Amino acid sequence: MLRYLARRLAYVGMMLAGLVLITFVISNVTPADPAALAAGPDATPEMVATLRREYGLDRPLPQQFLRYADDLLHGRLGRSIQSGNEVAQDLARYVPATLQLVILAMGFACAVGIPLGMLAAVRRQSWLDHGIRVLAVSGVALPAFWIALLLQLVVAVWWGWLPTGGMLSIAADPPPTLTGMVLFDALLAGEWGTFLDAARHAVLPALVLSLPCLASVLRVNRAEMIEVLGSDHITAARAHGVAPGRLVGRLALKNAMLPTLAMIGLRFGWMLGSTVLVETVFDWPGIGLYAVNSAIAADFKPVMGVTLVIGFLFMLSNLLVDLAYGWLDPRTRGA
Amino acid sequence: MQRRDFLLGAGGLVAASSLDPAFGFEREGNRRILVFSGNQPVPILDPHQRYDWSTRMMQRCLYDALVRYDGTPARVIPWLAESWETSADGLTWTFKLAAAAKFNNGDALDAEAVRFSFARGLRLNKGISWMLSRHLKPEKIEALDARTVRFTLERPYPDFIAFLPLWFIVNPKQVLANVDGDDDGQKWLTANAAGSGPFRIRRWDGQTVMSLEAVPEYWKGWPMAEADRPAGVIFRVMRESAPRKAALQRGEVDIAAGLTPDDLEQLERVPGMVVTNDPGAAPFFIMMNTQKGPTADLNLRKAIAHAFDYDALITIHKGDARLLDGPFPVVTAGRIALDMPRRDLDKARAFMARSATPQGGFELEYLHVAGHEVQRQIGLVLLNALQPLGIRVNLVGQPWPTLIGRGANPDTAAAMTAVYVTPVTTSPDTVASQYASSAAGQFWGIHHLRDARIDAMVAEAAVELDAPKRREMYAAIQRRVLELQPAVFCMTANQRWAMRNYVRGFANQPLNLTGEVDLFPLYAARG
Repeated sequence: MLRYLARRLAYVGMMLAGLVLITFVISNVTPADPAALAAGPDATPEMVATLRREYGLDRPLPQQFLRYADDLLHGRLGRSIQSGNEVAQDLARYVPATLQLVILAMGFACAVGIPLGMLAAVRRQSWLDHGIRVLAVSGVALPAFWIALLLQLVVAVWWGWLPTGGMLSIAADPPPTLTGMVLFDALLAGEWGTFLDAARHAVLPALVLSLPCLASVLRVNRAEMIEVLGSDHITAARAHGVAPGRLVGRLALKNAMLPTLAMIGLRFGWMLGSTVLVETVFDWPGIGLYAVNSAIAADFKPVMGVTLVIGFLFMLSNLLVDLAYGWLDPRTRGA
Repeated sequence: MQRRDFLLGAGGLVAASSLDPAFGFEREGNRRILVFSGNQPVPILDPHQRYDWSTRMMQRCLYDALVRYDGTPARVIPWLAESWETSADGLTWTFKLAAAAKFNNGDALDAEAVRFSFARGLRLNKGISWMLSRHLKPEKIEALDARTVRFTLERPYPDFIAFLPLWFIVNPKQVLANVDGDDDGQKWLTANAAGSGPFRIRRWDGQTVMSLEAVPEYWKGWPMAEADRPAGVIFRVMRESAPRKAALQRGEVDIAAGLTPDDLEQLERVPGMVVTNDPGAAPFFIMMNTQKGPTADLNLRKAIAHAFDYDALITIHKGDARLLDGPFPVVTAGRIALDMPRRDLDKARAFMARSATPQGGFELEYLHVAGHEVQRQIGLVLLNALQPLGIRVNLVGQPWPTLIGRGANPDTAAAMTAVYVTPVTTSPDTVASQYASSAAGQFWGIHHLRDARIDAMVAEAAVELDAPKRREMYAAIQRRVLELQPAVFCMTANQRWAMRNYVRGFANQPLNLTGEVDLFPLYAARG
């Protein structure tokens, strides 16, 4: 198992190195000039040159890459040319907000997707099953951007039930920072008003972010449940008079959960990437919005930083899934 | 489902809908907080490092300048400086500061603070420094006494005063106390303020929410009755137009900038909503590459300018735009109206016949900002307009950074590029310089025009002290620019904001940048 783990970690290292190289190259082949943009529309060539010098953009590209790689090895992600802030500090501020959103979305997707998948499998080919499958297809097929705007219009504007965006009411003071995730910080601090406020702000973005994942979890769980429910050991258990609830909820679900768990692991990384869109529509102050703002300004260090963080978390979740598989099924360790 | 279940569900929905009465003001005590929303973040607050519309809007809340722009047409009025005088040779400018001026931490705002701020702005060589760096050296700024500051210019420059509204004064004591190495306080001033303005920072996240609280004892006083003075203002950054519109409708936002023409049209019909419609100042051009490709041919440029359908510009803007009647924006001093090209296919064909490609049969690229619907529609108008000349138009949308990156070099610049050029001052020198050879490489110089006559005229006019003579020189520059047709001179779109009908104190100032609003005089009506 340890050798397997070491090999997987080596893969992660290599993939991260590749990611760094690719993001650096892509950032530098675009014709945009970050220094010219940061210097402002009326800047003189001397002003642009000053910024280039300050941020090392006047050096040859290989030298810039080596410097960036050296920075990464020392835990630095460079500085934003737009704000002058250290990217690592910015990310430390924005990552918790994104993680909060992803955790809530994932929790919702699992809490709804798994039971619905079970229900659809048990009532296969019924109207309920068809309805649930329509929901699953919609969750994958409908563009998140469109759903987000629609929910904003209906739930926030027409019905006035929930706010249109943001993480907290804008005039509200955030709770003391413990995790950086305001919902959990408010809970830990016992600030119930702030907690409710944060929860109300999180509902729509978390719902929109969760839909594709919910649909995937639902579909995989349904398919696995159908397969397991038709297997010999379930038939035998049924013949032995095991109660239907125990049969489905314990025996069948346990066996069907392995692929579902793998799907959840993969979707976690995917969700991090999807936050770019959701955070932009709902003005959620996470790394997705940070990446969008930076990309629009051709501020590449933050974009590269966000890409690395998402890439790393994606690989980490994949690694955990692989390890779980390797642990549960030793035959996969050599694959 | 049984009827009882249905009624229970419906009752639950009604109850839930009444949980949040939404529609209301942000408040602090019995005072209201105004919420403004726009699409652009404010990554740096330091007034000497950066300015753009959102940044300057916040800087104006936190800092003061010697003078400021007021009214329409824009004129310079005293602010920190209560008076000023200029020497006969135009080299020396002396300002007398208002005795009441003070920073928000209680420190006196004196001549030394003014000297320090201008010297810092020039030394950093960022943001605003381009405005004065050719004319003023840091060592030529003197604090003669506590209330008198003198600037000695390198050469006469009548436009000097036009730039001063953008030069904000920082508190030297606060800046020097927060210097990190040799950074001149830049890091600290990125998210902190050391100013004398009507607001101070309450909470700051340049990406999403900037909350400012009013300074009750603001040295200049407040323009509204004390009971109406807001507790503060909040700038909420919302990237997309649709959520911004939704927030405005829901009452989460009091005033919003950057809404699409369609959104504004819908909001005009919403009760309780006011949509402003004032003449703007940022002209829109289709810049033509004067150095490379077919558009390097003056006759072809003239043919394009006469084939273009200008009336369609007004239609695209639903009537809320004015066609340009000269190369200079309406706010620029010395602007003259000229006989501009308008759609005339006979003239267009005549110019085409004189060009190197009389039969057409080629394609021109029209480059616009990706996702900018108005620019794309203008491209479609261009596409139709040039068909009779046998010219195909390829519409290409690219991100703004890529667009200006390509435009920096005539070899990579598109044949035609869509550009808004927002004037930041009334200075005719700044606008005229956009057509000088030195402009090549800047986004407003994507035409890459090179004309020795214009270069000489721009240099001479900049230092001319005799006002009538200077006006005539700029008139000659405008005529020459039109003669060379480096762009299709299109229109100026109206400046439009949407706000709740209780917002008072709003006054459009044409020199406000893009979505910028002067938040200082705004308040919410009671009742």
